[in-house]
Amino acid sequence: MNPVIRWLRLYFIQAWFSYRALFAWSTPFNYIASKLGFPFFSMLLFIFLGKYVGLNDPVYIVIGNILLLPSLNGVMGISMTIGGEKQFGALSYLLGSPAPRSAVFVGRAFFHIIDGFVAVLIALPIAILVFHLDLEQTNFLWLALSVLLICITSTGLGFIMGVVTLLSRDGWMITSTLALAFYVLIGVNFPIELLPPVLKSISLALPMTRGIQAARMALNGAHFAELAPLLAGEVLIGLTYIIFGYALFRGVERISFRNGALDNL
Amino acid sequence: MNAIEAKSLQKVFITRRGFWRQKRKSTIAVEDVSFQVEQGELFGVLGPNGAGKTTTVKMLTTILLPTQGSGSILGHDLVKDTREIRKHIGFTFGGARGLYGRLTAMDNLRYFAELYALDPLYSKKRIPEMLEMVGLLDRSDDRVETFSSGMQQRLHLARALLHNPDVLFLDEPTVGIDPVGARELRQTVKSLQQAGKTILLTTHYMAEAEELCDRIAIVNHGKIVAMDTPSALRRRISPESVVEITVSQENAVVIEEMIKKLDGKLRMESISSLTEQHYSLFTPEPETVLEALSPALQTRSIQGLQVRNQTMEDVYIAIIEETSLNA
Amino acid sequence: MHNFLRFARQQISVQLQIRTFNLYSLLLFFIQPAIFSAVGMVLSRAAGNAAPDLVYTVIGGGILGMWSGMVFTSTYDIRSDRRDGILELLIASPTSLRRIEAVRTFTNITASLVSLLVAVGAAVAIFHFSFNGINIFRLLLAVVILLYSLWCLGVFLANFLAWSRLSGSLVDFLELPMAFLCGFMYPITVLPQWLQGISTFVPVRWALQALNATLLKNQEISQYWFHIGMALLTATIFWLTSLWFDRKVHDHIRLTGELSSI
Repeated sequence: MNPVIRWLRLYFIQAWFSYRALFAWSTPFNYIASKLGFPFFSMLLFIFLGKYVGLNDPVYIVIGNILLLPSLNGVMGISMTIGGEKQFGALSYLLGSPAPRSAVFVGRAFFHIIDGFVAVLIALPIAILVFHLDLEQTNFLWLALSVLLICITSTGLGFIMGVVTLLSRDGWMITSTLALAFYVLIGVNFPIELLPPVLKSISLALPMTRGIQAARMALNGAHFAELAPLLAGEVLIGLTYIIFGYALFRGVERISFRNGALDNL
Repeated sequence: MNAIEAKSLQKVFITRRGFWRQKRKSTIAVEDVSFQVEQGELFGVLGPNGAGKTTTVKMLTTILLPTQGSGSILGHDLVKDTREIRKHIGFTFGGARGLYGRLTAMDNLRYFAELYALDPLYSKKRIPEMLEMVGLLDRSDDRVETFSSGMQQRLHLARALLHNPDVLFLDEPTVGIDPVGARELRQTVKSLQQAGKTILLTTHYMAEAEELCDRIAIVNHGKIVAMDTPSALRRRISPESVVEITVSQENAVVIEEMIKKLDGKLRMESISSLTEQHYSLFTPEPETVLEALSPALQTRSIQGLQVRNQTMEDVYIAIIEETSLNA
Repeated sequence: MHNFLRFARQQISVQLQIRTFNLYSLLLFFIQPAIFSAVGMVLSRAAGNAAPDLVYTVIGGGILGMWSGMVFTSTYDIRSDRRDGILELLIASPTSLRRIEAVRTFTNITASLVSLLVAVGAAVAIFHFSFNGINIFRLLLAVVILLYSLWCLGVFLANFLAWSRLSGSLVDFLELPMAFLCGFMYPITVLPQWLQGISTFVPVRWALQALNATLLKNQEISQYWFHIGMALLTATIFWLTSLWFDRKVHDHIRLTGELSSI
């Protein structure tokens, strides 16, 4: 078989199986609850918190929390998929196989990207209905592109956290905490300009920050020229994280050959 | 009063398949199991994977409720008197699960000692005794996550014996244990029986079952298909001997021609390797077979020859095959 | 009684070793509550407030941390026991699962009290919150009732978690709605009336009203005792329900075989 075709087959087939394995035990209620339930109620918590402190227009918070949805797939979903290999004892078999790691590792992201995009597509109409979100000005093409970019760039963090989950028994908790930190750091509930300088620097070094800004601007009708710097920045940061995540995995794999780090825990 | 009684125990599991439109599927893990075990008896349960051995043990140890049927342990009903039963039984399951990896061996046993409401002074003496019995006393302060699976298995045995139960359920206790350790464990099991404990043991190792058990039940497809003493089970198949022959591949054809002439008088199994062919000939007339093969013996075409009685493994395989065909 | 105390001591010791003294708890009890408080503080700044509301934003973050800590650890306890094959051993022991879970939940809540203490410490040390004029007896009683409410809820949830492998997801689903409906980080009066009605039977809501109003020094004594009474009553209802539920759970999971994840 042509190596490229083989790589593509491996990429898509194992992407599908690893995604299915994550939810095979679930029911539709559980699936929807985990995808939309938690984010929906966090959003309500922040809306009423905002109302209490004097912010009566919830739209900023609503939009931010919708745009955060892909990150749950990109970060949590991928780290659980990768970490799950160890939990279920499949990691040794994976590492012992001749399968190209790029297809196996990076392929984990594919269906989570789609899942994240679909989650936003579902959440937007709900937001229009419940919160009277006005999309009259929206530039839908650039909104879609921004959202897709967020879905993709968040996977870079997912890969890194996946490796952390492989190495640490508490990796899942670390990933959960990081996912919560997004509420502060990437412009979900308030503009990042309100953050202290140190936190703002962290925010700009994270994927999704620029993507969320670009999506907000697209919702307000911004054109490509205004969005280009943000989108370019998002692409650059996202690629950096994805490449770093993959390199980290390969590095840990090599170290594990010597000291069994991935095997023992 | 029997130590263990099972009357038509049945266990059906319902599983769901699919995501949006889920289909329910019933799996009969145990269809109909009935037996009694006398006090002080060592009772073996053999069966292929998926036969229902572990599920039966889980019902008798009150971990699972039977779908149908009833049972008792030392006269206490399985369903109504679960709390009382739990005070008098100990059990282990094969595999390394069921221990807190972050705790030491000592702490794990202390934890379970409390669950069984053991007196602290008694626990203080009993825990090191049990650790010594299973050969883990020098590892008592090490975290269980650093133990091999065999060591964890031994720790489970120590856990099961902490409260000095009258009835022990050992589900594949020697799985994952090296031969020396397994022999020591068998000796321990035997001494526990001699101390008056009733033991129900499940195992895949035929020699182990034959060595230890007073009686053996063979389970297949959720039912008991044979139950008797090991010697009676051997006799049940038929009073057959086994003639084992090893020949080189070149001579295999000649030997098979000789064996064909005996068709009807024996049953044959063969295993081939690159250079050799091995035959097991099950026959009530081993002398007839030897006579038929004597030309080959004279020409030294046969590399190896042995005549033996049927082992428990032979019996087990024969019974399982017979019942699988009839199922 | 003596036996129970010994058992409890043992359980608490194991629970602390397994759940509390590790990175997991550091993140759960310290960092996660701080994140919620940080959101509250920045939102407050966005709204043009000179300083954040210390009771709801800062201390409220600590209370949210207590609640999350209790839910997370209780969920994790049952899930990991199920996954590691320990749940079977617990069920098959002479000690009831209810008793085991009662002590574990107590340990989890006591450990998560750290979140509240850290939040109060931050409010005092960083934002100069003062306890002057606050009735300390009423405050401590409100904290004790809050702990009791969380404990009763926790025991109920632990039973529910044991019911089925899938119930863990439902409990995850409940974590933030409870925080949002019970006024963890804002007065419950911020919610529309119909939403306030939903948390009528949730003891934490009443305990929080008593606690926060004591801290804010803006509550009539009769109102305080009403809130304390409602918290006690609703918490006890949850506890009694879990007693009744315990037998059903015990039989249900042995029937379905969902004691193990394999």
